[in-house]
Amino acid sequence: MPPTVSTGADVVAPIRVPLIAWLLAVVALGVVYLLLQENGLVTTGQIAAYLHEFTHDGRHALGVPCH
Amino acid sequence: MTTPTLGGILRRGALAGVAAGVVASVVAFAVVEPVIARALAVEEARSAGTPAEEPLVGRAMQVAGGMVAAVAVAVCLALVLAVVFATVRHRLPARTDFGRAVLLAFLGFVSFSLVPALKYPANPPAVGDPDTVGARTAQYLSLIAAGVAIAWLAVLVRQVLVERGWSAPLAVTGGVLAGVAGYLALMLIWPGGTVEIPADVPARLIWDFRVASLAELTAMWATMGAVLGLLLTPRTGGPAARADGSTSATGL
Repeated sequence: MPPTVSTGADVVAPIRVPLIAWLLAVVALGVVYLLLQENGLVTTGQIAAYLHEFTHDGRHALGVPCH
Repeated sequence: MTTPTLGGILRRGALAGVAAGVVASVVAFAVVEPVIARALAVEEARSAGTPAEEPLVGRAMQVAGGMVAAVAVAVCLALVLAVVFATVRHRLPARTDFGRAVLLAFLGFVSFSLVPALKYPANPPAVGDPDTVGARTAQYLSLIAAGVAIAWLAVLVRQVLVERGWSAPLAVTGGVLAGVAGYLALMLIWPGGTVEIPADVPARLIWDFRVASLAELTAMWATMGAVLGLLLTPRTGGPAARADGSTSATGL
């Protein structure tokens, strides 16, 4: 066993998470919103209707409020 | 103990999301879709006699769409889970990354899926009033946001208790009690559901659908946490790794 191995103490170094990583998370949440929640707030017309119908089973199955 | 890099966590998160999505879509196909088919039969019986509209998306495409949506949602949620994991890793009360990943996924499941499912249970097609969908969506999303805040509060309570010299089990118990109390308060405070169940929809169908929906969500989060944790576990086997003593079988 190399001498540098820690003793398993509860000291854990924080990981630096830059803003760009949080922007990625926000974009990911935005996609979830579009797929599951969107009811005409962002998209309109034919695209909205198609997206809604295509993911309709998924919405209900994942427990999201639907009409 | 080695510290994983942010990029490494994100890559593993994406993989865990794919695995969780595949498992969830299999549950969707095998468990949820048969119940949706029963609900659609109710809808059809309701509109019997009126000329059928040409559907925008066919049934086969909707089934496929439900499975695609499950995969896409799981990948996105897993990326969020990975970013949050990197941010709060040093605050999570577990000794290994496997334990931390499973714990964080559990908190995500409770906040994002279990508490909303208990307060506003899932409904199959054939149930629901289009006029109230905006209000119901606002209630649902605000409950999720508050649920995430409660999870964060529970982790903080445990940390404060540790800093005050409480033993590890007592501090964890304090955090769990704070979290449970917080979630119960949310359930009581948030406005009640506005969904009327139509008389022609059997109670058995509603129950089966809610259980099936929760099964899909549970499968998704469980897979996400376990796979992320496994991928973060160093692949060192043999006596040298065991002698380290910093890893345990479950990490919890």
